[in-house]
Amino acid sequence: MLEKMISIDRYAYNSKLRYIEPLQKLIFSLLTLAVGLWADNIVISIIIFSIMIYATVYYGGIPIKYYFKLLLIPMTFLFISVITLVINISHNPENFLCYFRIGSSFIGCSKTGALKVLLLFFKVMASVSCLYFLSLSTPIIDFLAALKKLKVPKLIIEITGLIYRFIFVIMETAENMFRAQNSRLGYIDLSTAYRSLGTLISNLFIRSYKRANELYIALESRGYDGEINVLQQEYKRGKKLYFYTALINILLLIIALITKGRWPSL
Amino acid sequence: MKEYILEVHSLSFTYPDGTRALRDVNMKIKPGEITAILGGNGAGKSTLFHTLNGILKPSKGQIVFEGKPIDYSRKGLIELRKSIGIVFQDPDNQLFSASVYQDVSFGLMNLKLPEEEVRRRVNEAINRTGIVNIKDKPTHSLSFGQKKRVAIAGVLAMEPKVLILDEPTAGLDPKGVSEIMTFLKEIQQELAVSIIISTHDIDMVPIYCDKVFVMNEGEIVAHGTPEEIFQDIDRIRSVNLRLPRIGHLMEILKEKDGFHIDSLPLTISKARRALIRNRLKDIFKIKTLKDNRYQQK
Repeated sequence: MLEKMISIDRYAYNSKLRYIEPLQKLIFSLLTLAVGLWADNIVISIIIFSIMIYATVYYGGIPIKYYFKLLLIPMTFLFISVITLVINISHNPENFLCYFRIGSSFIGCSKTGALKVLLLFFKVMASVSCLYFLSLSTPIIDFLAALKKLKVPKLIIEITGLIYRFIFVIMETAENMFRAQNSRLGYIDLSTAYRSLGTLISNLFIRSYKRANELYIALESRGYDGEINVLQQEYKRGKKLYFYTALINILLLIIALITKGRWPSL
Repeated sequence: MKEYILEVHSLSFTYPDGTRALRDVNMKIKPGEITAILGGNGAGKSTLFHTLNGILKPSKGQIVFEGKPIDYSRKGLIELRKSIGIVFQDPDNQLFSASVYQDVSFGLMNLKLPEEEVRRRVNEAINRTGIVNIKDKPTHSLSFGQKKRVAIAGVLAMEPKVLILDEPTAGLDPKGVSEIMTFLKEIQQELAVSIIISTHDIDMVPIYCDKVFVMNEGEIVAHGTPEEIFQDIDRIRSVNLRLPRIGHLMEILKEKDGFHIDSLPLTISKARRALIRNRLKDIFKIKTLKDNRYQQK
Protein backbone atom coordinates (compact mmCIF):
# COMPACT_ATOMS: atom_id res chain seq x y z
CA MET A 1 0.00 0.00 0.00
CA LEU A 2 2.80 2.34 0.92
CA GLU A 3 4.53 1.63 -2.36
CA LYS A 4 1.33 2.43 -4.25
CA MET A 5 1.08 5.66 -2.31
CA ILE A 6 4.61 6.64 -3.23
CA SER A 7 4.14 5.83 -6.88
CA ILE A 8 0.96 7.90 -6.98
CA ASP A 9 3.03 10.70 -5.50
CA ARG A 10 5.68 10.27 -8.16
CA TYR A 11 3.17 10.23 -11.01
CA ALA A 12 1.48 13.32 -9.64
CA TYR A 13 4.75 15.25 -9.80
CA ASN A 14 5.28 14.21 -13.40
CA SER A 15 1.72 14.77 -14.58
CA LYS A 16 1.31 17.09 -17.53
CA LEU A 17 -1.56 18.71 -15.62
CA ARG A 18 0.65 19.54 -12.65
CA TYR A 19 1.04 23.24 -13.34
CA ILE A 20 -2.66 23.96 -13.66
CA GLU A 21 -3.80 25.88 -10.61
CA PRO A 22 -4.61 23.24 -7.98
CA LEU A 23 -7.84 24.92 -6.89
CA GLN A 24 -9.26 24.49 -10.39
CA LYS A 25 -8.41 20.81 -10.38
CA LEU A 26 -9.87 20.39 -6.91
CA ILE A 27 -13.15 22.02 -7.90
CA PHE A 28 -13.31 20.10 -11.18
CA SER A 29 -12.86 16.78 -9.43
CA LEU A 30 -15.07 17.42 -6.40
CA LEU A 31 -17.92 19.12 -8.24
CA THR A 32 -18.10 16.36 -10.81
CA LEU A 33 -17.97 13.82 -8.01
CA ALA A 34 -20.89 15.55 -6.27
CA VAL A 35 -22.97 15.68 -9.44
CA GLY A 36 -22.28 12.00 -10.07
CA LEU A 37 -23.36 11.05 -6.58
CA TRP A 38 -26.44 13.23 -6.74
CA ALA A 39 -27.54 12.03 -10.16
CA ASP A 40 -27.33 8.41 -9.17
CA ASN A 41 -27.70 7.46 -12.78
CA ILE A 42 -25.80 4.82 -14.69
CA VAL A 43 -25.41 6.95 -17.83
CA ILE A 44 -24.00 9.84 -15.84
CA SER A 45 -21.65 7.49 -14.03
CA ILE A 46 -20.33 6.06 -17.28
CA ILE A 47 -19.88 9.52 -18.78
CA ILE A 48 -18.00 10.77 -15.73
CA PHE A 49 -15.85 7.65 -15.65
CA SER A 50 -14.88 8.13 -19.31
CA ILE A 51 -14.21 11.86 -18.98
CA MET A 52 -11.97 11.33 -15.96
CA ILE A 53 -10.01 8.50 -17.56
CA TYR A 54 -9.55 10.60 -20.68
CA ALA A 55 -8.43 13.64 -18.69
CA THR A 56 -6.04 11.71 -16.47
CA VAL A 57 -4.53 9.44 -19.09
CA TYR A 58 -4.58 11.60 -22.19
CA TYR A 59 -4.08 15.09 -20.76
CA GLY A 60 -2.18 14.04 -17.66
CA GLY A 61 0.07 11.53 -19.38
CA ILE A 62 -0.43 8.76 -16.85
CA PRO A 63 0.22 5.31 -18.40
CA ILE A 64 -3.12 3.59 -18.93
CA LYS A 65 -1.78 0.30 -17.64
CA TYR A 66 -0.83 1.91 -14.36
CA TYR A 67 -4.20 3.62 -14.15
CA PHE A 68 -6.11 0.36 -14.41
CA LYS A 69 -3.80 -1.25 -11.91
CA LEU A 70 -4.75 1.50 -9.50
CA LEU A 71 -8.41 0.87 -10.19
CA LEU A 72 -7.93 -2.65 -8.89
CA ILE A 73 -7.49 -1.28 -5.36
CA PRO A 74 -11.13 -0.20 -4.86
CA MET A 75 -12.19 -3.24 -6.87
CA THR A 76 -11.33 -5.60 -4.00
CA PHE A 77 -13.47 -3.61 -1.58
CA LEU A 78 -16.21 -3.37 -4.15
CA PHE A 79 -16.17 -7.10 -4.73
CA ILE A 80 -16.69 -7.90 -1.06
CA SER A 81 -19.62 -5.53 -0.68
CA VAL A 82 -21.16 -6.65 -3.96
CA ILE A 83 -21.41 -10.27 -2.86
CA THR A 84 -23.91 -9.40 -0.18
CA LEU A 85 -26.01 -7.48 -2.69
CA VAL A 86 -25.97 -10.07 -5.42
CA ILE A 87 -26.82 -13.15 -3.44
CA ASN A 88 -30.37 -13.42 -2.23
CA ILE A 89 -32.39 -16.08 -0.53
CA SER A 90 -35.97 -16.55 -1.61
CA HIS A 91 -38.75 -19.11 -1.69
CA ASN A 92 -39.62 -18.13 -5.19
CA PRO A 93 -37.00 -18.71 -7.91
CA GLU A 94 -38.84 -16.67 -10.56
CA ASN A 95 -36.77 -13.52 -10.25
CA PHE A 96 -33.46 -15.30 -10.21
CA LEU A 97 -31.05 -15.31 -13.10
CA CYS A 98 -29.33 -18.34 -11.74
CA TYR A 99 -29.84 -20.19 -8.51
CA PHE A 100 -29.53 -23.42 -6.60
CA ARG A 101 -31.81 -25.03 -4.17
CA ILE A 102 -31.31 -25.70 -0.47
CA GLY A 103 -34.28 -27.36 1.14
CA SER A 104 -37.37 -25.33 0.40
CA SER A 105 -35.55 -22.07 -0.34
CA PHE A 106 -33.46 -20.91 -3.24
CA ILE A 107 -30.12 -19.17 -3.12
CA GLY A 108 -29.12 -17.26 -6.20
CA CYS A 109 -28.58 -14.05 -8.04
CA SER A 110 -31.66 -12.00 -8.68
CA LYS A 111 -32.31 -9.67 -11.62
CA THR A 112 -32.72 -6.63 -9.39
CA GLY A 113 -29.62 -7.65 -7.48
CA ALA A 114 -27.57 -7.85 -10.67
CA LEU A 115 -28.85 -4.51 -11.84
CA LYS A 116 -28.01 -2.97 -8.48
CA VAL A 117 -24.50 -4.31 -8.72
CA LEU A 118 -24.05 -2.86 -12.17
CA LEU A 119 -25.26 0.54 -10.98
CA LEU A 120 -23.09 0.42 -7.92
CA PHE A 121 -20.08 -0.65 -9.92
CA PHE A 122 -20.23 2.33 -12.26
CA LYS A 123 -21.06 4.74 -9.49
CA VAL A 124 -17.99 3.63 -7.56
CA MET A 125 -15.81 3.76 -10.66
CA ALA A 126 -17.04 7.27 -11.48
CA SER A 127 -16.31 8.50 -7.94
CA VAL A 128 -12.94 6.83 -7.76
CA SER A 129 -11.92 8.18 -11.14
CA CYS A 130 -12.78 11.71 -9.96
CA LEU A 131 -10.48 11.30 -6.98
CA TYR A 132 -7.78 9.67 -9.08
CA PHE A 133 -7.86 12.62 -11.42
CA LEU A 134 -7.02 14.84 -8.46
CA SER A 135 -4.42 12.62 -6.85
CA LEU A 136 -2.65 11.81 -10.10
CA SER A 137 -2.34 15.42 -11.17
CA THR A 138 -1.90 17.29 -7.91
CA PRO A 139 0.97 16.58 -5.50
CA ILE A 140 0.19 17.10 -1.82
CA ILE A 141 1.97 20.45 -1.67
CA ASP A 142 -0.17 21.83 -4.48
CA PHE A 143 -3.26 20.36 -2.88
CA LEU A 144 -2.37 22.14 0.34
CA ALA A 145 -1.95 25.36 -1.60
CA ALA A 146 -5.52 24.94 -2.82
CA LEU A 147 -6.74 24.32 0.73
CA LYS A 148 -4.95 27.47 1.81
CA LYS A 149 -6.88 29.40 -0.80
CA LEU A 150 -10.08 27.92 0.58
CA LYS A 151 -9.11 29.36 3.99
CA VAL A 152 -8.64 26.04 5.72
CA PRO A 153 -6.99 26.70 9.13
CA LYS A 154 -3.26 27.23 8.74
CA LEU A 155 -2.39 24.83 11.52
CA ILE A 156 -3.93 21.90 9.66
CA ILE A 157 -2.11 22.80 6.46
CA GLU A 158 1.22 23.21 8.25
CA ILE A 159 0.91 19.93 10.09
CA THR A 160 -0.17 18.05 6.98
CA GLY A 161 2.75 19.52 5.07
CA LEU A 162 5.27 18.55 7.74
CA ILE A 163 3.82 15.06 8.08
CA TYR A 164 4.00 14.59 4.34
CA ARG A 165 7.62 15.75 4.24
CA PHE A 166 8.73 13.59 7.14
CA ILE A 167 6.92 10.42 6.13
CA PHE A 168 9.68 10.00 3.59
CA VAL A 169 12.49 10.90 5.95
CA ILE A 170 11.27 8.57 8.68
CA MET A 171 10.56 5.81 6.20
CA GLU A 172 14.11 6.02 4.95
CA THR A 173 15.47 5.93 8.49
CA ALA A 174 13.30 2.93 9.33
CA GLU A 175 14.36 1.16 6.17
CA ASN A 176 18.04 1.72 6.90
CA MET A 177 17.63 0.49 10.46
CA PHE A 178 15.73 -2.55 9.26
CA ARG A 179 18.45 -3.37 6.75
CA ALA A 180 21.16 -2.96 9.36
CA GLN A 181 19.30 -5.29 11.72
CA ASN A 182 18.52 -7.76 8.98
CA SER A 183 22.13 -7.94 7.85
CA ARG A 184 23.03 -8.99 11.38
CA LEU A 185 20.32 -11.66 11.35
CA GLY A 186 17.91 -9.63 13.45
CA TYR A 187 14.95 -11.31 11.82
CA ILE A 188 16.19 -14.88 11.82
CA ASP A 189 13.27 -16.30 13.78
CA LEU A 190 10.02 -15.02 15.16
CA SER A 191 11.11 -14.14 18.70
CA THR A 192 14.23 -12.35 17.46
CA ALA A 193 12.14 -10.55 14.89
CA TYR A 194 9.76 -9.26 17.56
CA ARG A 195 12.63 -8.02 19.66
CA SER A 196 14.34 -6.34 16.69
CA LEU A 197 11.12 -4.71 15.59
CA GLY A 198 10.58 -3.42 19.12
CA THR A 199 13.99 -1.77 19.26
CA LEU A 200 13.50 -0.43 15.76
CA ILE A 201 10.26 1.27 16.69
CA SER A 202 11.53 2.73 19.96
CA ASN A 203 14.67 3.94 18.23
CA LEU A 204 12.60 5.52 15.52
CA PHE A 205 10.67 7.45 18.15
CA ILE A 206 13.84 8.74 19.78
CA ARG A 207 15.34 9.74 16.46
CA SER A 208 12.17 11.47 15.35
CA TYR A 209 12.11 13.40 18.60
CA LYS A 210 15.70 14.52 18.06
CA ARG A 211 14.99 15.36 14.47
CA ALA A 212 12.01 17.47 15.47
CA ASN A 213 14.27 19.42 17.81
CA GLU A 214 16.85 19.98 15.13
CA LEU A 215 14.21 21.00 12.64
CA TYR A 216 12.92 23.54 15.11
CA ILE A 217 16.41 24.99 15.56
CA ALA A 218 16.87 25.16 11.80
CA LEU A 219 13.53 26.86 11.33
CA GLU A 220 14.29 29.33 14.10
CA SER A 221 17.59 30.27 12.54
CA ARG A 222 15.66 31.31 9.46
CA GLY A 223 13.35 33.51 11.45
CA TYR A 224 10.51 31.09 12.30
CA ASP A 225 7.99 32.87 14.50
CA GLY A 226 5.30 30.28 15.05
CA GLU A 227 3.91 30.30 11.56
CA ILE A 228 5.28 28.63 8.49
CA ASN A 229 4.88 31.20 5.76
CA VAL A 230 5.96 30.17 2.33
CA LEU A 231 5.40 31.42 -1.15
CA GLN A 232 3.61 29.14 -3.58
CA GLN A 233 5.18 28.44 -6.85
CA GLU A 234 3.37 30.20 -9.66
CA TYR A 235 0.96 28.07 -11.62
CA LYS A 236 -0.13 28.41 -15.20
CA ARG A 237 -2.35 31.39 -15.70
CA GLY A 238 -5.80 30.93 -17.17
CA LYS A 239 -9.14 29.71 -16.00
CA LYS A 240 -9.77 27.19 -18.74
CA LEU A 241 -10.49 24.34 -16.40
CA TYR A 242 -13.18 26.36 -14.59
CA PHE A 243 -14.88 26.76 -17.94
CA TYR A 244 -14.70 23.03 -18.67
CA THR A 245 -15.87 22.22 -15.16
CA ALA A 246 -18.96 24.39 -15.62
CA LEU A 247 -19.64 23.09 -19.12
CA ILE A 248 -19.29 19.42 -18.24
CA ASN A 249 -21.33 19.65 -15.09
CA ILE A 250 -24.16 21.61 -16.69
CA LEU A 251 -24.34 19.03 -19.46
CA LEU A 252 -24.33 16.26 -16.89
CA LEU A 253 -27.16 17.93 -14.99
CA ILE A 254 -29.21 18.27 -18.16
CA ILE A 255 -28.65 14.63 -19.10
CA ALA A 256 -29.50 13.59 -15.57
CA LEU A 257 -32.76 15.52 -15.62
CA ILE A 258 -33.78 14.23 -19.05
CA THR A 259 -33.07 10.61 -18.27
CA LYS A 260 -34.48 10.78 -14.78
CA GLY A 261 -36.97 8.00 -14.19
CA ARG A 262 -36.29 6.43 -17.55
CA TRP A 263 -33.13 4.80 -16.39
CA PRO A 264 -32.98 2.53 -13.41
CA SER A 265 -31.33 3.99 -10.39
CA LEU A 266 -30.19 2.66 -7.08
CA MET B 1 33.88 49.54 6.96
CA LYS B 2 34.77 48.09 10.30
CA GLU B 3 37.82 45.94 10.49
CA TYR B 4 35.97 42.94 11.88
CA ILE B 5 32.44 41.95 11.10
CA LEU B 6 32.19 39.35 13.84
CA GLU B 7 34.08 39.18 17.09
CA VAL B 8 33.87 36.55 19.78
CA HIS B 9 35.21 37.52 23.19
CA SER B 10 36.11 34.84 25.75
CA LEU B 11 33.04 32.78 24.96
CA SER B 12 32.17 29.81 27.13
CA PHE B 13 29.25 27.47 26.88
CA THR B 14 28.25 24.64 29.17
CA TYR B 15 25.43 22.27 28.31
CA PRO B 16 22.85 21.46 31.01
CA ASP B 17 24.46 18.04 31.47
CA GLY B 18 27.72 19.71 32.44
CA THR B 19 29.63 19.27 29.19
CA ARG B 20 31.83 22.27 28.66
CA ALA B 21 31.52 22.58 24.92
CA LEU B 22 33.24 25.95 24.59
CA ARG B 23 36.00 27.30 26.78
CA ASP B 24 37.12 30.87 26.53
CA VAL B 25 36.87 31.10 22.75
CA ASN B 26 38.21 34.23 21.07
CA MET B 27 37.71 34.86 17.39
CA LYS B 28 37.76 37.74 14.98
CA ILE B 29 36.36 37.47 11.49
CA LYS B 30 37.12 39.97 8.75
CA PRO B 31 34.43 40.84 6.23
CA GLY B 32 34.58 38.99 2.92
CA GLU B 33 36.84 36.17 4.02
CA ILE B 34 36.36 32.44 4.05
CA THR B 35 37.20 31.17 7.50
CA ALA B 36 37.55 27.52 8.35
CA ILE B 37 36.97 26.15 11.82
CA LEU B 38 39.08 23.03 11.86
CA GLY B 39 38.56 20.43 14.51
CA GLY B 40 37.94 16.77 15.14
CA ASN B 41 34.59 15.32 16.13
CA GLY B 42 33.27 16.85 19.32
CA ALA B 43 35.66 19.79 19.25
CA GLY B 44 32.79 22.24 19.74
CA LYS B 45 32.38 23.50 16.19
CA SER B 46 28.62 23.04 16.00
CA THR B 47 28.08 24.53 19.44
CA LEU B 48 30.12 27.55 18.41
CA PHE B 49 27.95 27.99 15.32
CA HIS B 50 24.78 27.74 17.33
CA THR B 51 25.97 30.52 19.61
CA LEU B 52 26.94 32.69 16.62
CA ASN B 53 23.36 32.53 15.34
CA GLY B 54 21.89 33.19 18.77
CA ILE B 55 20.32 29.74 19.03
CA LEU B 56 22.38 29.08 22.15
CA LYS B 57 23.10 31.80 24.64
CA PRO B 58 26.67 31.64 25.91
CA SER B 59 27.24 30.99 29.60
CA LYS B 60 30.05 33.53 29.57
CA GLY B 61 31.53 35.99 27.14
CA GLN B 62 30.22 38.06 24.33
CA ILE B 63 29.62 37.98 20.61
CA VAL B 64 29.96 41.26 18.80
CA PHE B 65 28.43 41.63 15.37
CA GLU B 66 29.28 44.76 13.37
CA GLY B 67 30.53 46.47 16.48
CA LYS B 68 27.45 45.73 18.58
CA PRO B 69 27.05 42.91 21.08
CA ILE B 70 24.28 40.44 20.22
CA ASP B 71 20.93 41.48 21.58
CA TYR B 72 19.09 38.38 22.79
CA SER B 73 15.68 39.97 22.79
CA ARG B 74 13.18 38.64 20.26
CA LYS B 75 13.60 41.58 17.97
CA GLY B 76 17.36 41.56 18.31
CA LEU B 77 17.53 37.90 17.36
CA ILE B 78 15.39 38.45 14.29
CA GLU B 79 17.75 41.22 13.21
CA LEU B 80 20.74 38.99 13.89
CA ARG B 81 19.36 36.09 11.89
CA LYS B 82 18.71 38.37 8.95
CA SER B 83 22.43 39.05 8.81
CA ILE B 84 23.90 35.74 9.91
CA GLY B 85 22.60 32.71 8.06
CA ILE B 86 23.41 29.17 9.04
CA VAL B 87 23.29 26.03 6.92
CA PHE B 88 23.05 22.88 9.01
CA GLN B 89 24.95 19.72 8.46
CA ASP B 90 22.06 17.39 7.67
CA PRO B 91 19.84 18.97 5.02
CA ASP B 92 17.01 16.62 6.00
CA ASN B 93 16.82 18.48 9.30
CA GLN B 94 16.63 21.81 7.58
CA LEU B 95 14.32 21.24 4.63
CA PHE B 96 10.85 21.23 6.10
CA SER B 97 8.86 21.47 2.91
CA ALA B 98 8.40 18.92 0.17
CA SER B 99 8.65 21.75 -2.34
CA VAL B 100 12.03 23.21 -3.19
CA TYR B 101 10.50 26.54 -4.08
CA GLN B 102 8.53 26.80 -0.84
CA ASP B 103 11.52 25.91 1.26
CA VAL B 104 13.73 28.53 -0.35
CA SER B 105 11.04 31.17 0.16
CA PHE B 106 10.56 30.44 3.87
CA GLY B 107 13.24 32.74 5.31
CA LEU B 108 12.24 35.56 2.99
CA MET B 109 8.59 35.33 3.96
CA ASN B 110 9.66 35.62 7.59
CA LEU B 111 11.46 38.84 6.72
CA LYS B 112 8.02 40.11 5.64
CA LEU B 113 9.28 41.21 2.26
CA PRO B 114 6.82 42.05 -0.52
CA GLU B 115 5.92 39.11 -2.75
CA GLU B 116 7.69 40.41 -5.83
CA GLU B 117 10.93 40.85 -3.94
CA VAL B 118 10.58 37.34 -2.49
CA ARG B 119 10.07 35.84 -5.93
CA ARG B 120 13.04 37.71 -7.34
CA ARG B 121 15.33 36.58 -4.54
CA VAL B 122 14.08 32.98 -4.61
CA ASN B 123 14.75 32.77 -8.34
CA GLU B 124 18.16 34.34 -7.92
CA ALA B 125 19.13 31.90 -5.16
CA ILE B 126 17.84 28.97 -7.21
CA ASN B 127 19.88 30.10 -10.20
CA ARG B 128 22.98 30.78 -8.18
CA THR B 129 23.02 27.42 -6.43
CA GLY B 130 22.40 25.60 -9.69
CA ILE B 131 19.17 23.88 -8.71
CA VAL B 132 16.99 25.19 -11.53
CA ASN B 133 16.60 21.73 -13.00
CA ILE B 134 15.36 20.24 -9.73
CA LYS B 135 13.16 23.05 -8.48
CA ASP B 136 9.93 21.27 -9.45
CA LYS B 137 10.91 17.99 -7.85
CA PRO B 138 9.84 17.05 -4.33
CA THR B 139 12.66 17.29 -1.80
CA HIS B 140 12.39 13.62 -0.88
CA SER B 141 13.42 12.55 -4.36
CA LEU B 142 16.64 14.58 -4.34
CA SER B 143 20.13 13.24 -3.74
CA PHE B 144 22.11 14.28 -0.68
CA GLY B 145 24.18 16.78 -2.66
CA GLN B 146 21.09 18.30 -4.23
CA LYS B 147 19.39 18.63 -0.83
CA LYS B 148 22.50 20.38 0.43
CA ARG B 149 22.26 22.90 -2.38
CA VAL B 150 18.60 23.53 -1.65
CA ALA B 151 19.47 24.09 2.00
CA ILE B 152 22.16 26.59 0.99
CA ALA B 153 19.75 28.34 -1.40
CA GLY B 154 17.25 28.75 1.43
CA VAL B 155 19.79 30.60 3.52
CA LEU B 156 21.48 32.45 0.69
CA ALA B 157 18.16 33.89 -0.46
CA MET B 158 18.04 35.87 2.79
CA GLU B 159 21.20 37.64 1.59
CA PRO B 160 23.09 37.37 4.86
CA LYS B 161 26.31 39.23 5.52
CA VAL B 162 27.79 36.19 7.21
CA LEU B 163 27.11 32.71 5.92
CA ILE B 164 27.85 29.87 8.32
CA LEU B 165 28.01 26.33 7.02
CA ASP B 166 28.31 23.35 9.34
CA GLU B 167 30.37 20.71 7.55
CA PRO B 168 29.31 21.71 4.05
CA THR B 169 31.39 19.01 2.40
CA ALA B 170 30.64 16.09 4.72
CA GLY B 171 29.05 13.19 2.89
CA LEU B 172 29.65 14.57 -0.59
CA ASP B 173 31.60 12.89 -3.36
CA PRO B 174 34.84 14.55 -4.56
CA LYS B 175 33.06 16.33 -7.40
CA GLY B 176 30.36 17.53 -5.02
CA VAL B 177 32.98 18.87 -2.63
CA SER B 178 34.81 20.87 -5.25
CA GLU B 179 31.53 22.15 -6.70
CA ILE B 180 30.26 23.37 -3.34
CA MET B 181 33.57 24.96 -2.41
CA THR B 182 34.03 26.62 -5.78
CA PHE B 183 30.51 27.91 -5.46
CA LEU B 184 31.26 29.33 -2.01
CA LYS B 185 34.38 31.00 -3.37
CA GLU B 186 32.25 32.50 -6.12
CA ILE B 187 29.64 34.00 -3.83
CA GLN B 188 32.39 35.22 -1.54
CA GLN B 189 33.87 37.16 -4.44
CA GLU B 190 30.64 38.30 -6.06
CA LEU B 191 28.54 39.13 -3.01
CA ALA B 192 31.38 39.93 -0.58
CA VAL B 193 29.86 37.66 2.07
CA SER B 194 31.94 36.43 4.97
CA ILE B 195 31.81 32.67 5.02
CA ILE B 196 32.55 30.50 8.03
CA ILE B 197 32.72 26.76 7.53
CA SER B 198 33.47 23.98 9.93
CA THR B 199 35.30 21.02 8.54
CA HIS B 200 37.73 18.25 9.19
CA ASP B 201 38.57 17.97 5.51
CA ILE B 202 42.11 19.21 5.90
CA ASP B 203 43.16 19.01 2.25
CA MET B 204 40.46 21.45 1.27
CA VAL B 205 41.43 24.17 3.74
CA PRO B 206 44.57 25.57 2.05
CA ILE B 207 42.87 25.62 -1.33
CA TYR B 208 39.73 27.56 -0.44
CA CYS B 209 40.13 29.25 2.93
CA ASP B 210 41.70 32.54 3.89
CA LYS B 211 41.81 31.99 7.63
CA VAL B 212 41.78 28.99 9.90
CA PHE B 213 40.86 28.52 13.53
CA VAL B 214 41.86 25.18 14.99
CA MET B 215 39.59 23.93 17.75
CA ASN B 216 40.16 21.20 20.24
CA GLU B 217 37.99 20.27 23.21
CA GLY B 218 36.15 23.56 23.10
CA GLU B 219 39.20 25.73 22.83
CA ILE B 220 40.84 27.60 19.98
CA VAL B 221 44.35 26.20 19.93
CA ALA B 222 45.69 27.99 16.89
CA HIS B 223 44.62 30.56 14.33
CA GLY B 224 46.03 32.26 11.28
CA THR B 225 46.32 31.71 7.55
CA PRO B 226 46.54 28.08 6.41
CA GLU B 227 50.28 28.54 5.72
CA GLU B 228 50.89 29.78 9.26
CA ILE B 229 48.78 27.09 10.86
CA PHE B 230 50.38 24.17 9.12
CA GLN B 231 53.97 25.30 9.76
CA ASP B 232 53.50 24.28 13.39
CA ILE B 233 53.30 20.60 12.62
CA ASP B 234 53.56 19.34 16.17
CA ARG B 235 50.65 21.37 17.40
CA ILE B 236 48.43 20.21 14.53
CA ARG B 237 49.24 16.60 15.31
CA SER B 238 48.67 17.05 19.02
CA VAL B 239 44.99 17.88 18.39
CA ASN B 240 44.23 14.77 16.32
CA LEU B 241 44.58 16.55 12.99
CA ARG B 242 47.22 16.15 10.34
CA LEU B 243 48.91 18.09 7.59
CA PRO B 244 47.29 18.25 4.19
CA ARG B 245 48.55 15.27 2.17
CA ILE B 246 50.56 17.53 -0.11
CA GLY B 247 52.13 19.24 2.90
CA HIS B 248 52.98 15.89 4.41
CA LEU B 249 54.66 14.73 1.21
CA MET B 250 56.65 17.92 0.99
CA GLU B 251 57.70 17.56 4.62
CA ILE B 252 59.06 14.06 3.93
CA LEU B 253 60.84 15.23 0.80
CA LYS B 254 62.40 18.02 2.80
CA GLU B 255 63.39 16.03 5.88
CA LYS B 256 64.41 12.73 4.35
CA ASP B 257 65.37 13.39 0.76
CA GLY B 258 67.17 16.66 1.06
CA PHE B 259 64.88 18.80 -1.06
CA HIS B 260 65.27 22.50 -0.56
CA ILE B 261 61.92 23.75 0.60
CA ASP B 262 61.61 26.82 2.78
CA SER B 263 57.98 26.95 3.86
CA LEU B 264 55.77 23.90 3.42
CA PRO B 265 53.67 24.17 0.25
CA LEU B 266 50.13 22.97 0.95
CA THR B 267 48.45 22.99 -2.44
CA ILE B 268 49.30 21.16 -5.62
CA SER B 269 50.23 24.31 -7.50
CA LYS B 270 52.58 25.56 -4.79
CA ALA B 271 54.16 22.14 -4.37
CA ARG B 272 54.72 21.97 -8.10
CA ARG B 273 56.44 25.31 -8.08
CA ALA B 274 58.70 24.25 -5.22
CA LEU B 275 59.64 21.01 -6.95
CA ILE B 276 60.36 22.72 -10.26
CA ARG B 277 62.56 25.18 -8.41
CA ASN B 278 64.43 22.23 -6.91
CA ARG B 279 64.87 20.60 -10.27
CA LEU B 280 66.10 23.78 -11.86
CA LYS B 281 68.58 24.15 -9.05
CA ASP B 282 69.82 20.60 -9.63
CA ILE B 283 70.16 21.08 -13.36
CA PHE B 284 71.94 24.30 -12.77
CA LYS B 285 74.26 22.64 -10.24
CA ILE B 286 75.10 19.75 -12.56
CA LYS B 287 75.73 22.17 -15.37
CA THR B 288 78.05 24.27 -13.29
CA LEU B 289 79.84 21.12 -12.15
CA LYS B 290 80.29 20.04 -15.75
CA ASP B 291 81.45 23.49 -16.71
CA ASN B 292 83.94 23.47 -13.90
CA ARG B 293 85.23 20.07 -14.96
CA TYR B 294 85.49 21.25 -18.52
CA GLN B 295 87.39 24.29 -17.49
CA GLN B 296 89.73 22.23 -15.36
CA LYS B 297 90.59 20.06 -18.33
